[in-house]
Amino acid sequence: MQPAQLEIEHVSVAYNGQPVLCDVTFHVPHGARVAVVGPNGAGKSTLFKVLVGLLPWHGGRILIHGQPLGHHHDCVAYVPQREEVDWRFPLTVSDVVMMGRYGRLGWLKRPTKEDHEVVRRCLEQMRIADLAQRPIQELSGGQQQRVFLARALAQEPHILLMDEPFTAIDITTQETIMAVLDELRAQQVTVLISTHDLSLAAAHFDRVLLLNRRVIGYGTAQEVFTQKQLMEAFGGQLLILGEGAVVIDQCCAPEAQRRSRA
Amino acid sequence: MITWLTAPLAYGFMQRGLLASLMVGILCAVIGCYVVLRGMAFIGDALAHAILPGIAIAYLLKGNLLIGALAAAVLVALGIGFFSRQGTIKEDTAIGILFAAALSLGVLLISTIRTYAVDLTHILFGNVLGVSTGDLWLTGALTVLVLATIALFYKEFLVISFDPVLATTLRLPVEWLRHLMLILLALTVVVSLQTVGVGLVAAMLVTPGATAYLLTRRLPAMMAVAALIGAFSSISGLYISFYWNVASGAAVVLVATAIFLVVFLFAPQRGAFWQWRRGRQQAVLERCAEKEH
Repeated sequence: MQPAQLEIEHVSVAYNGQPVLCDVTFHVPHGARVAVVGPNGAGKSTLFKVLVGLLPWHGGRILIHGQPLGHHHDCVAYVPQREEVDWRFPLTVSDVVMMGRYGRLGWLKRPTKEDHEVVRRCLEQMRIADLAQRPIQELSGGQQQRVFLARALAQEPHILLMDEPFTAIDITTQETIMAVLDELRAQQVTVLISTHDLSLAAAHFDRVLLLNRRVIGYGTAQEVFTQKQLMEAFGGQLLILGEGAVVIDQCCAPEAQRRSRA
Repeated sequence: MITWLTAPLAYGFMQRGLLASLMVGILCAVIGCYVVLRGMAFIGDALAHAILPGIAIAYLLKGNLLIGALAAAVLVALGIGFFSRQGTIKEDTAIGILFAAALSLGVLLISTIRTYAVDLTHILFGNVLGVSTGDLWLTGALTVLVLATIALFYKEFLVISFDPVLATTLRLPVEWLRHLMLILLALTVVVSLQTVGVGLVAAMLVTPGATAYLLTRRLPAMMAVAALIGAFSSISGLYISFYWNVASGAAVVLVATAIFLVVFLFAPQRGAFWQWRRGRQQAVLERCAEKEH
């Protein structure tokens, strides 16, 4: 076992006194790619928001590189769900990606040549260099997702968290994202992605975290995706067919999850 | 034509009025871009009304009205930030409560003054022709201060407006910046009191920004175009007021509104007229799949 890059131990989170995550413990080794899976309202977004310091937690501890959360400034990048920002804002694609550099720039400083170079590289990596000067209000959903990921890459993170990046995007964008994830693995960047797509989680990720308010299973897809554990996580949304086939009925985020995002 | 333009300049009060309007027009338009993009129109309006008690107290104490307004505005800006910070009360509710309370207090205080009606009219709708040299200096200083702050914190204000979540993960002091922006807005409102008054500040904040939004694609350009529109409406409004003897603040706002309407209808691509035409073309093309075009 390599030294853990990200350690979460006995962390609980509550919104207005209502527990959303209870006693969550898991370790992510250096450079691993983890899929966070669970039903709507399981606390996947909440977990990510805690990890980037957007939400407070109770008890336990979170360590990055063995240091408490907040100790490292530019270490964690977060790609939120697309609908969290107003895409009618008067910005170009490269303006948005440049925002990823702001954390390093510091007060009163303007972007340097190097920052522009990083932005250009990230746009190319996401195959959207041709959109650099395009106003963001003209982008498709898949292009928006690429812009967000390019911005996260511009932060040059050690840990990358992506919230539902594969929801409602075209197949080319999904392939581009998977290709970039492979490049990130080569750079030893640790990646956590929440997704509804269980087969994607099983096929492309080293580990799966099955979550429903608490950790139900954590390990390889084979270890985690057992009938018993899936039943425990998804409950009534699960339909077990013969020969071990499992169907999960889940399409749109319900009202509760949308509210928790607001 | 030239004498028509230069004739008003013979009067000192018109020179001062034009200069004040010009500064206020530009200042309101630039910060107004953030007001439009962040949906702060209601806050701007509330701040303007909330200033009333400050002015009334300054008047009763025979102090400087602008300083009284300034103190009240900063207090209310911080109050709005404080009440809505914890999320226990929604921001617009907090604003609604403070705004109505402060306005009532202001009217109550002013109603104790004998020349109630005249003074209230000046405060509500501005009295740009009554600008003194001292007022002009204060307006100038505040304009430079606010514009310089917006320029210095350009990228920080941009991030907290577009994506506050990113701003937090970049460890920017989001709350602090939000308060700073409210204070800048409060200063702007105070500066605008002289020219357009409490009742019309919101229009000067929102209208040029909304117009510029329809014409531009990036924030710096939007600010520049808004500033031009703000400056033009201020100056032309004042000329209209001079020659037709109508209320200056109202004239300024109506010029800005007229520009907005024209742009809203005819802005390239985004204008209602082009969209309507495009929609009709689409319908025609769909109806007959022949070589109609």
